[in-house]
Amino acid sequence: MPDTVPMAKRRALRRKQGSRFDTPLGRAVLQSLAVLVFFALWEFGVRLGWISAFLVGAPSGIFAYAAKIIASGELISDTWYTFFEAILGFIIGTIFGSLLGLALWYSVFVARLVEPFIVAINSVPKIALAPIVVLWFGTGLISKVALSVSLTAIVALIAAYQAAKDADPDLQSLLVSMGADKHQVFFKAVVPSTLPSMIATFRINIGFGLVGAVVGEFISSQHGLGHMIYTASSLYDLNTVWVGLFTLMIMGFVLYYVIEIIERTILPWKQASTVQQVQV
Amino acid sequence: MQITPAQLSVRNVRKSFAGKAGDVCVLDDLSFDIKERDFVSIIGPSGCGKTTIFNIIAGLLEPDSGSLQFRGEEVESLRGRVGYMMQKDLLFPWRTVLGNVLLGLETRGVDRAEAEDKAREYLKDFGLAGFENAYPKTLSGGMRQRVALIRTLIMDPDILLLDEPFSALDYQTRLYLEGVLKDAVETYHKTVILVTHDIDEAVALSKRVVVLSGRPARVKIVHDIEIDAPSPIAARSDNRFSGYFHALCAELDIQTEKTS
Ligand SMILES: Nc1ncnc2c1ncn2[C@@H]1O[C@H](COP(=O)(O)OP(=O)(O)O)[C@@H](O)[C@H]1O
Ligand SMILES: [Mg+2]
Repeated sequence: MPDTVPMAKRRALRRKQGSRFDTPLGRAVLQSLAVLVFFALWEFGVRLGWISAFLVGAPSGIFAYAAKIIASGELISDTWYTFFEAILGFIIGTIFGSLLGLALWYSVFVARLVEPFIVAINSVPKIALAPIVVLWFGTGLISKVALSVSLTAIVALIAAYQAAKDADPDLQSLLVSMGADKHQVFFKAVVPSTLPSMIATFRINIGFGLVGAVVGEFISSQHGLGHMIYTASSLYDLNTVWVGLFTLMIMGFVLYYVIEIIERTILPWKQASTVQQVQV
Repeated sequence: MQITPAQLSVRNVRKSFAGKAGDVCVLDDLSFDIKERDFVSIIGPSGCGKTTIFNIIAGLLEPDSGSLQFRGEEVESLRGRVGYMMQKDLLFPWRTVLGNVLLGLETRGVDRAEAEDKAREYLKDFGLAGFENAYPKTLSGGMRQRVALIRTLIMDPDILLLDEPFSALDYQTRLYLEGVLKDAVETYHKTVILVTHDIDEAVALSKRVVVLSGRPARVKIVHDIEIDAPSPIAARSDNRFSGYFHALCAELDIQTEKTS
């Protein structure tokens, strides 16, 4: 085989492309380094007067303030408050929406009937409902949860309905030929085949749950990260704003990985294929 | 000729589908009989309506007219009584091998422990012991189709409907599975209707071959295959094999000349 590069050499070449940092630890080091450099440049920029600390804040101030409100317990309680609203909204909205979307599989007639209404509701920017939601549900916890539900339910509904419609008709036919009734087809073929896209919806909806909670807090609240960010920015207290934002970021980040763990537990049959990537 | 009563009679079945340019008649007055423990292959040009017949027998489609008789009794369909196996193995990707084999018994509400014992026994008989907890995507095409065959057999169906079950497999695997099928059919005393585009396979496996004409499908001729070989591979070296093979080729060739 004169035209082929020897196998060992090719393997070595491939390894070089990925570099020796291409391990979990190596990547973590590079990622942490990038974050450190980012904050260092920011801090130096502020110290040297290139960046206005008044308009964008400074890492030293952000960390000092974070340490202070962590010690006082304020950050934990605000974080918990927002987290609770977002998760509650996410769970209620996603379950409610998914069940409704799946149920539409049972009747093509009903599904066709309500489709334009779903499209109409989906096209309303739900954030625009926030003031009314506060009017209806007050300034407490319930209005934020309601806002999160309004954002997540419709996404879950559309995704679940679409996934149920897309369930492989041949698998359903096979069950029918075995004598399965409609419920069995639903639970044995339709529901399991919608799970992957349901989980994908969880990912999107975690974000929407947080949006609902934070926007609700912007409008009126005495607690939560949204409230913290809103009041601080009206006082030009940028460091506090950043503490709130970074906490939200960390929360979203953690939730993303929690969903990944859920995915791995619910969809063990999906795992085998996700690792392979085409070598070019 | 001895007269054996038919297990399944397809009588004057008609079926059209709505197409862009009006209705397309796929089955026009189709009739044939399947005897007890028969092994009948159906061959015919592709698109002539073979899958449609199966869908009607399995109760997935309703005929426009005509009837089905099962052991002399008029029935709507054989839904729940047939083992339908398609070209795609149609294993449920989220179920393990064991879970897939159990599908039909679950549907029937058979006791779980009892069903599982039976499933393990079948898996062992078909050389799949040790793969109970594997997911379908980790199996080879031949293994997957074997799992599909077990899933079909374990329900003890009255009739097996096999729609080009081996056509997606390579030749060696196909030969091997033909043997597995033939043995299983003899062990479990099953009636089989096999749709295939492979004349060679039809002759090697069947007792009778039904040749269908092009759309709309009608029975053109039925050939009795009188090869009594112990295996499909042995059947291929029977001295009558090539005679049947060429006769069936001729039937289909005339067909293709007519339609094209
Ligand atoms: N559900 C359907 N709707 C419309 N046309 C169909 C449908 N099913 C099959 N047909 C048409 O009927 C003809 C016969 O199909 P089929 O039974 O699958 O053929 P075969 O299995 O012999 O290849 C084809 O021309 C196909 O396009
Ligand atoms: Mg077909």
